[in-house]
Amino acid sequence: MTYLFSMWKNTRMIVLVAVCAAIYAAALIAFKTAIPLVPGIAEVRVAGVFLVVFGFLFGPAGAWGLGLGNLIGDVFGGTFGPGSLGGFVGNLLQGYAIYSLWINLAPIAGKHYEWKAGNPLSWVRYILITMLSSGVCAVMIAVWVDLLGIVPYSVLSKIIVLNNVVGGMVGVLLLIAVYDITRGQLGLLWIDVMDLERPVRRATGPLGAWVLTAGVVLGLTSGLIPYLPPSILGPASAGIIILGCLLM
Amino acid sequence: MIISLFQDRDSWLHRLDPRTKMIGTIMLFAMTLSFNDPLYVAFITAAIVCTAVSAHAIGALWKLRLILMLLVLFSVALWPFFAEGPTTLWSWRSLKVSRESLLFGVAMGLRLATFVITGLLLLATTRNEEMTNGLIKMKLPYPVAFALSTALRLVPTFAGAGATIVEAQVSRGLDLESKNPALRMGKLIPLAVPMFISAIRYTNLLAMALESKGFTPDAARTLYYEPVMKTRDWAILASLSILVALCLYLRLGLDLGVVMAGRM
Repeated sequence: MTYLFSMWKNTRMIVLVAVCAAIYAAALIAFKTAIPLVPGIAEVRVAGVFLVVFGFLFGPAGAWGLGLGNLIGDVFGGTFGPGSLGGFVGNLLQGYAIYSLWINLAPIAGKHYEWKAGNPLSWVRYILITMLSSGVCAVMIAVWVDLLGIVPYSVLSKIIVLNNVVGGMVGVLLLIAVYDITRGQLGLLWIDVMDLERPVRRATGPLGAWVLTAGVVLGLTSGLIPYLPPSILGPASAGIIILGCLLM
Repeated sequence: MIISLFQDRDSWLHRLDPRTKMIGTIMLFAMTLSFNDPLYVAFITAAIVCTAVSAHAIGALWKLRLILMLLVLFSVALWPFFAEGPTTLWSWRSLKVSRESLLFGVAMGLRLATFVITGLLLLATTRNEEMTNGLIKMKLPYPVAFALSTALRLVPTFAGAGATIVEAQVSRGLDLESKNPALRMGKLIPLAVPMFISAIRYTNLLAMALESKGFTPDAARTLYYEPVMKTRDWAILASLSILVALCLYLRLGLDLGVVMAGRM
């Protein structure tokens, strides 16, 4: 999690946080009431196309941007409440999971932090990371919202994961279209902005990636395991996900 | 483009320090979370609506009347099937609705609506700048507050740029009037590329402007608008603290305001 905090010393990364948050919030507000799924809580998210793109291109700045953007979306959309805290944490951790898993999810982790549309491994990594990071966001938000008694865990976790996976899959088109411009012309790929030749991978990183994966699988399959209700498995899987994030 | 819920009025709530309003909002959230009996939650909801009326913020509330109604209806329809109670009213195979789960659903609908109304009350009476300055005074690190306030300013700019891009494409024949929402969404996705590029270009310009003026993220700051806590702010916070304590005592000490035990 080092980069998630050290980025606040870099002016360009701070501006990237603001820009990512504003784009994400603008897209959220524009389609907030277009197709509601759970009124005031979840809707068909056109803004979901930005999730993986921001997390991958802008790394920690993208993660903070997603968290703050979701919060601002709630503020301007008129749905600000205690649930917004879960939305902030869920979106922040989704962004964090995207750039961290890219270099930590052994054995498919990339040695270099780059996207190559012609390389099948880039696609496998993208699809897996989209699904896992969406699961992170879904479990974290659904646990919090269920705890507050707003929407049941088993309903919301499925809606969020489906929404984010669809957004992420469509978002690959955006990534293909903007990757070269962002990296080559604008020099805004996060490792370049932070002057890193390649991000440092912690010794516990791959373990953390698999702990996070276990937490997501457990969280999303809760309800299918006999004698273990989602009210126990949900918070347990959220704890495992946080542990995985700390290890990465 | 104007995207703001703030209503510029001269009410007692508008004049409060932003920190009072933010902490007060959290206290109201805590009070609402103390009960799951619809009667008790309805009492808190009514008190907050009265506060909105006295602060001339009812207009902002009226704008969201549809979403508030949907929140309550959705909750009433959903929760009875996910919470279990002893007094069965209706059952079919594994589906069961009890008196307690139905009341719990009503309470959760009211709770959710109360959250939204409380949040709305804060936003309708507090400017974005006041909010960020209040957060800085509450020791939020300056770079985070800077990013937040910049994002708040940029949202209308980017939303406006997005609307211009959409209008430009519609004038060139793009059909966004399709009744099929999936088809309509599919046509909106390619528009994300110019929106993204135009917004990201802004990053370098803004960063250069900041660096040329010697912006240092961790330098000590002074504020043009300095929020000051007055006697009325302390009085309101003290009153709300007493009310929170009373709600917790009613729930935890006397076990009142509960239709479903073991649930928040």
